[in-house]
Amino acid sequence: MNGHCTEQQLIDYAFELASEAQTREVRAHLDSCEVCRAKLDGLKAKFSTLDLLREEVGASASLIASTVEAATGTKRPAILRLWARPWLGAVAAVFVVGVALLIVSTFGPGRKVSQPGTEKSFSQENLSQRTRDVPAATGPEKLVAADRSLPAEAASPTAVWQPQAKLGAGVVAQSLTTPAPAELKLADAEIDEKPPFAPASAIELVVLPRRQNVQLTIYNGADLTLVREQRLLTLKKGWNWLQFMWANTLIDPTSLSLEPVEHKDQVEVQQLVFPPRLRELGRWLIRSEVEGQVPFELTYMTSGLAWRAFYMGTLSLDERSMRLEGYVRVDNASGEDYEDAQTRLIVGKVHLLDQIRDLAQRQYAYGDPRSQGPVGGLGEAIDLEARNESLSLAELLSYTQGDSGVPMEAKEIIKEGLSEYFLYTIEGTETIPNEWGKRLLSFEADDIPVTSLCKYDEERWGTEPIRFVSFANDVEHRLGETPLPDGAVRIYRRIDKEKHLAYVGGTETKYIPVGEKVELNLGPARLVKIEPVLMDVRTENHTFDSKGNVTGWDEVRSWKIEIANARTLPVDIEITRGFDTPRWELKMENPTATYEKHDVTHARFKLTVGPRSKEVLTYTVTTYHGAREQVLIQREQNAQR
Amino acid sequence: MAAHLRGDTAAFRELVERYADGMLRYLIHMTGNRDQAEDLFQETFKKVHEKAHTYRGPVFKSWLFTIATRATIDHMRRRRHAATSSLDQETDCAGNESSSLAETLASDGAPDPAEELGREERKQQVREAVASLPVKQRATLVLAYYQQLSYREVADVMGCSLGTVKTQMSRALATLARRLPDSISVTK
Repeated sequence: MNGHCTEQQLIDYAFELASEAQTREVRAHLDSCEVCRAKLDGLKAKFSTLDLLREEVGASASLIASTVEAATGTKRPAILRLWARPWLGAVAAVFVVGVALLIVSTFGPGRKVSQPGTEKSFSQENLSQRTRDVPAATGPEKLVAADRSLPAEAASPTAVWQPQAKLGAGVVAQSLTTPAPAELKLADAEIDEKPPFAPASAIELVVLPRRQNVQLTIYNGADLTLVREQRLLTLKKGWNWLQFMWANTLIDPTSLSLEPVEHKDQVEVQQLVFPPRLRELGRWLIRSEVEGQVPFELTYMTSGLAWRAFYMGTLSLDERSMRLEGYVRVDNASGEDYEDAQTRLIVGKVHLLDQIRDLAQRQYAYGDPRSQGPVGGLGEAIDLEARNESLSLAELLSYTQGDSGVPMEAKEIIKEGLSEYFLYTIEGTETIPNEWGKRLLSFEADDIPVTSLCKYDEERWGTEPIRFVSFANDVEHRLGETPLPDGAVRIYRRIDKEKHLAYVGGTETKYIPVGEKVELNLGPARLVKIEPVLMDVRTENHTFDSKGNVTGWDEVRSWKIEIANARTLPVDIEITRGFDTPRWELKMENPTATYEKHDVTHARFKLTVGPRSKEVLTYTVTTYHGAREQVLIQREQNAQR
Repeated sequence: MAAHLRGDTAAFRELVERYADGMLRYLIHMTGNRDQAEDLFQETFKKVHEKAHTYRGPVFKSWLFTIATRATIDHMRRRRHAATSSLDQETDCAGNESSSLAETLASDGAPDPAEELGREERKQQVREAVASLPVKQRATLVLAYYQQLSYREVADVMGCSLGTVKTQMSRALATLARRLPDSISVTK
């Protein structure tokens, strides 16, 4: 070893992180170097301070009991140590990451509930029934806590916090009630017509219900998802504040909408405010004439959820038919878990003026995501340009996999056309956690008649023949029930009766409407060689001017195209040849192939080459130049007259 | 674990009790905050209960710490934009309320108050140094140093190679060598 050991070498040596050779080397050096030994001792002494954190920590019996109860189903709320955290009130607004709901009641505690006589449906019996339906975290005892309004100073150590009131990854919900200043205590059934200016900052933490249900509508043409969810919110009679946080999610705050599902004539959502200095947070002001649980529908747009289609085709042994399986994969990178969501997938192109991701990541809800541009609700920003398609319903089996990787019950993706776009609805509900993807079978069709073709066109693909498989999205091809979304296609081929597969090729396909022909480019056909060889060039039929200069001629080229098929199957081949002039004449030298005029300057040859065999295609093409071409042009013009 | 999978309801409680102290210590070291550690403690064992059917053995402890580590890393990611509370919290990692200077000075039978204060200060420096490590380095350090798992076991928990664990550990220690307070005689 040259010189002394480095600190890193000594650390690795002390903690047995070095290789054997390095360890031997350092040990040998230490034996002879006092400086490094002292340095090592110093490091060891320094690291010994880590032992300061070796404290005798024990899990309390109550923690163990509550953990067991929470894990096995009976949740016990954790205790929030408000008395040990005097700073909590100041940081509460930023402590919670994600979306949260805040109910702030501005009226006094202990007043009697005055139910309107017409609201028999919202009777105590009904309320009891509802509370039985919600998870344990939202039990009636927590509602009692919500009804209490305590002065800030009395934010009691016994206040209950339920961390399991969770909306999803990074999203914790809390509902908070304000203390009720004594002067605001009202008589029964009275509601101050003047709304409170803002919720108080002193808070009491209570429990918020989970989502009752959630529906996702995911567009694959844009980074856009419409979320509709229902929650049972506990309202007090009077003014209520409801807080929504979207930190660490990609929710567009300008798209937030909240509506009561029941008691619409008694519950009014008045305004949504974005308090200053509080980022990624909004509060609704709700006026309620009823007290208790009211179902609300919350809708908003988010980005980060996407779906895409992909297909797997398996060619039969003779490559005359194909089994095609279509899949959709849903990916969630929205920052939010969606549990048991009804999932709908939209095929169609959506034009967005503002990207939801940009809207979601603004510091303040109505700040402009760009330096310039429109500001406003999403409703103004979206312009659907989806495709119109004929409508049909298809029932196709699909299956998904759970966490354990064990195949679960088959699911169905129901497809239907809407006036502006095509809608795929996944049967039942799906849980799509944040950062997860989920693949679902969309359809499968057997024995689709296909055409396999090798194409050769130097102007388009160079000197390699390209392999194509074509079929149509119609009934004749056992498809045609729905349009096929754009996506990746992978084609395999059965190579023996044991159903072993060989990969043939892959490509991206565009959106395929019903009735459209599909031609899949599977890449170069390695086992087919096509080699055109120019065998002869000559000019003839020269014309001269009065001085003896050449003014026109015919050019005659003789070509030989050698085609070798090394496959065990016959191959249909299509060869396109160009002549750079619209005036050409072609003569086949052998009858192996036929040709047709493909366009004004191209001819196309079609032939079939047997398995493991060769074919030779010879032809002569004559082109006309100078005065000879002018003569032909003149004849064409005369013929047109 | 086998008893729990067979439906023995008491077995899960026994499982929690057996690993409770070690797990709580680990989570406190990871979070620097007892309240967060207790939340993660509950979350970890809840996942153990939910995912018990996916346990393939043989080392339950590694599997348990894998779940706890993932839960902690997820928790850290979720909270990366939020202010951490460990620096100004008034409870220490063991959950005890920090004593005020006056209380410390007035306590009977306490060691030399100046020494005790110095010790608390150094403890706080160590806590801050550990908390400053990137979460994976911190997890590696805590598992290897405090939980005394072998590097191979740490690799199993972290779901990475032995070499990666050694690299993480080496980097963590290099960082700590710069940030830890000077040596002292440690009394537990």
